[in-house]
Amino acid sequence: MLRTAAVTAGIVVAIAALSAVHLTQGTSDTGVLDVLQALIGQGDAQTLAVLEGSRVPRLLTALLLGVAIGVAGAGMQSVARNPLASPDTLAVNAGAHLAVVVVAAFGLTLPTLPAGVLAFAGGLAAATVVLGLSGGGSTSPRLVLVGSAVALALQSLTILFLLMFEQETTGLFAWGSGSLTVSDLDATARMTPVVVVAVAALVAMGRSLDILALGDDNASLLGLKVRRTRVGAVLLTVALTAAAVTVAGPVGFVGLAAPVVTRLLVPRVGAHRVLLPLSGLVGVLVVLGADVLLRAVFGAAKALPVPTGVPTTIIGAALLVWLARRGRSSGGSARQAPAGRVGVAGTRGRVVAVGVALAVLVVAAPVVGLLLGDRVVLLGDLANWLSGRTGTALTFVLDQRLPRVLAALAAGAALAVSGCGIQSVSRNPLAEPGLLGITAGAGLGAIAMITLVPLAGAWHIAGAAGAGAVVAFALVYGLAWRSGLDPDRLVVIGIALWSAGMALITLLIVVSDPWNTAKALTWMSGSTYGRTPDQVLPVALALAVVVPLLWWRHRELDLHSLDEDTPRVLGVRVERSRLAVLAGSGVLAATAVAAIGVVAFVGLVAPHLARSLVGGRNARVLPVAAAVGAVLVSAADTLGRTVIAPAQIPAGLVIALVGTPYFVTVLWRTREARTG
Amino acid sequence: MRIPALVAAAAILLTACGTTENPATTTSASAGGPVTVTDARGKNVELEAPARKVVALEWGEAEIVTSLGVMPVGVADTAGYKTWNAAAPLDASVKDIGKRSEPSVDAIVALDPDVVVIAEERDSTLVPQLEKYVPVVVTKSSDASRNLDRLREDVRMIAKAVGKSAEGDKLLSDMDAKLAEGKKALEGKGVAGTPFFMADGWLEGSTVSIRPFGKGSLVSDIAEQVGLKNAWTGQVDPQWGLGQTDVEGLSVLTDPKTVLFYSASEDDVFTTGLAQNPVWQRLPFVASKKVTKFAGGTWTFGGPKSVASIADQVVRAVTA
Repeated sequence: MLRTAAVTAGIVVAIAALSAVHLTQGTSDTGVLDVLQALIGQGDAQTLAVLEGSRVPRLLTALLLGVAIGVAGAGMQSVARNPLASPDTLAVNAGAHLAVVVVAAFGLTLPTLPAGVLAFAGGLAAATVVLGLSGGGSTSPRLVLVGSAVALALQSLTILFLLMFEQETTGLFAWGSGSLTVSDLDATARMTPVVVVAVAALVAMGRSLDILALGDDNASLLGLKVRRTRVGAVLLTVALTAAAVTVAGPVGFVGLAAPVVTRLLVPRVGAHRVLLPLSGLVGVLVVLGADVLLRAVFGAAKALPVPTGVPTTIIGAALLVWLARRGRSSGGSARQAPAGRVGVAGTRGRVVAVGVALAVLVVAAPVVGLLLGDRVVLLGDLANWLSGRTGTALTFVLDQRLPRVLAALAAGAALAVSGCGIQSVSRNPLAEPGLLGITAGAGLGAIAMITLVPLAGAWHIAGAAGAGAVVAFALVYGLAWRSGLDPDRLVVIGIALWSAGMALITLLIVVSDPWNTAKALTWMSGSTYGRTPDQVLPVALALAVVVPLLWWRHRELDLHSLDEDTPRVLGVRVERSRLAVLAGSGVLAATAVAAIGVVAFVGLVAPHLARSLVGGRNARVLPVAAAVGAVLVSAADTLGRTVIAPAQIPAGLVIALVGTPYFVTVLWRTREARTG
Repeated sequence: MRIPALVAAAAILLTACGTTENPATTTSASAGGPVTVTDARGKNVELEAPARKVVALEWGEAEIVTSLGVMPVGVADTAGYKTWNAAAPLDASVKDIGKRSEPSVDAIVALDPDVVVIAEERDSTLVPQLEKYVPVVVTKSSDASRNLDRLREDVRMIAKAVGKSAEGDKLLSDMDAKLAEGKKALEGKGVAGTPFFMADGWLEGSTVSIRPFGKGSLVSDIAEQVGLKNAWTGQVDPQWGLGQTDVEGLSVLTDPKTVLFYSASEDDVFTTGLAQNPVWQRLPFVASKKVTKFAGGTWTFGGPKSVASIADQVVRAVTA
């Protein structure tokens, strides 16, 4: 009790100090002395105007955001009974953000309250999906995996809207990562009552939340209406998140960080009536601290285009890593094989049928890809083209379409095989190069190369992507290693690095080329636009080398997916073998990213589809997954080039749009498998 | 699941036979002698004849081509052009070839153009690819160290490529005359040297981002040419001459004579998002009500006609 009081007092003092510093930072030359004079009532009119028109709104907005997201995070962690839950990891932020962007894209400027209601609806939908799919409250990191994957899908949709409505949404790119550059207190003032009421209601529910923490059965025994309590708490936390997104966009990872820091400061804080408000205060500390730090490092003018969400995401990612390392291993040896339902034994006849069908599709997908597009050509044209008898125009159309089609095929196959490798050794059905931070690392490397050396060639970009992937992978692997490699820990740390990587990519873009967000967005969402044959070469080479190697060791992969001990007993050098598989998967993912940009879901979905077609043995899964991945990305690319021609949708976004429903079904099945 | 897929694939294969063109078409003979232009890359682009079918991938270039009396056959994002550039309207016949960030190569080729005019940096991978099929002329598009001279070079180059050099010179002399006329008018009123600030901006919720047109941006060069003085001294990028700031950052503008010009063809953030802001209200041009919104469709990165229109609007506002 004494400790709680002392900590609270400390936090309040720290907030006061940070607020004071915050008030002295800004793009005008109103400095510390002016502010001090104003505070003792002797400020000149200009200082007062600057304070009233810019600095106080920014400060109050930061305070409101901190409280809202901090309390929301603590509430969500309680409801989910999971220390990793937060508005980010439950996709609530992403859902709310998507709702707001969609409205802006259609040129509507909504008043704050309707915008907030919309954000609430978006956030609630996302939270419902995530909590529903992961079976409500559970202590497993599965909740985070599901949430992150859903967030990924929602972010892809958001990017799609930003791309399609470039001119309408120019300012939304930076806002999309959380910005405090408010011009007035209008939105903040309107959202304040929402936040106050929601926080008060949550705190009032504190006793019920305390009882809920004992587990559903115990809580029921003690007379708590478990369902009602949970639904009420979810609604309130989503309302808090939506309010924050409406005011400033999604400020990343504060909701995760605040309760974690609170529990660190006051380890024995059990009662929600203390935990919730304290988390709110810590949330303020995180937001203010990030904002002050950002402007202290860059200077106020330079920091302007950098969203406050960037530093908070990086801070939050570091905390997530720390949490994951600290958490107990979730019993690695007792995990099931990496599939929702490997019920299919894979009879010979079935395998043959699947093989033939896939072979046809692998040929048909690129052929259709060559035929369709803004200009539709026919098979006869193709034949003419192959024999060099087409006219210049058609020759050119097909000449430039070919590398795109090949890039899609090769990258799809590479990502799929990469996903197979990663899922096997991590024994996690939701692992994939994207969620392990590898594609974000590769993307960061490639974008850094493009930024620093605008004329960099394909090999340079592939090399930089590879280097980025290696660094990200080494970080994920090194951080997840703690006297052994826990598969869940690996993925949670991967998600942390994925978020940090995306935040850094945002930082790089807004600082280096703020007026060309469309190009960057296209790149970040996986596009085959303007590919040349030499850009396809690295990924083709990686496929030619790594896939046979992986296939050659398919038995080892099978053993890895069983459990931790079997391969050891059978004499496999587990760590060395796992590292080799992960390295090969990393190379595949990195070259794929260098070829077509960051594409999510393929590495996740293709192995699942393959297993459901031919059973769980990697000798079959690897080639089938490669074919499935190639067909998927090729089809997505063809669709994206055709449906809204002459404009185009990047292949990665089509994959996200098509892949999400499938992914949701996979999740639903694995949920059944676990509970049933 | 696989059976329908197979059927669909088979159906496509069956129906897709045939061709969309007769093999080995010959190019039509064209009038006029060969032309060689040296573009922004320093590359000599050779055309068999002055181009008549032109595709322009940026709005400024599309405007220049149109102003020369050559209606382009294709322009990127024609709907956006209509909203943002009214200086030289496009005919309804002009084909949309996709977004400016990713123009459709298929659509460009389908138009069978004589030349493609592309701005430096927009999709550098596109230039070498397109060049295999069609001559590509690369413009500088913007250069914050010498924007008006850069514009003259771009105009002369495009004019030569389309065989309209005389029209190009006329376009430029009209522009220069307009600038000189404006300068005279300003001097006549004794308002030469008036400090100005120019910007555009965005509003999202309560978040306002302001983009000042700094020294070296095309609009700023126009205003300086007629005798005004850019009051914005913040950092700008070397290509476009654009900066970034927030409301508070504007408080460095203290000269009471300062006038504001802003561009907003869609949302008007300056009157909706900032009107009640105390810093905004204290700004000299707000206090003295010397605020001018450029007419809708004033493209601040345009060609000579845009320049003339901007010069007109600036001069009218300052001499009023």
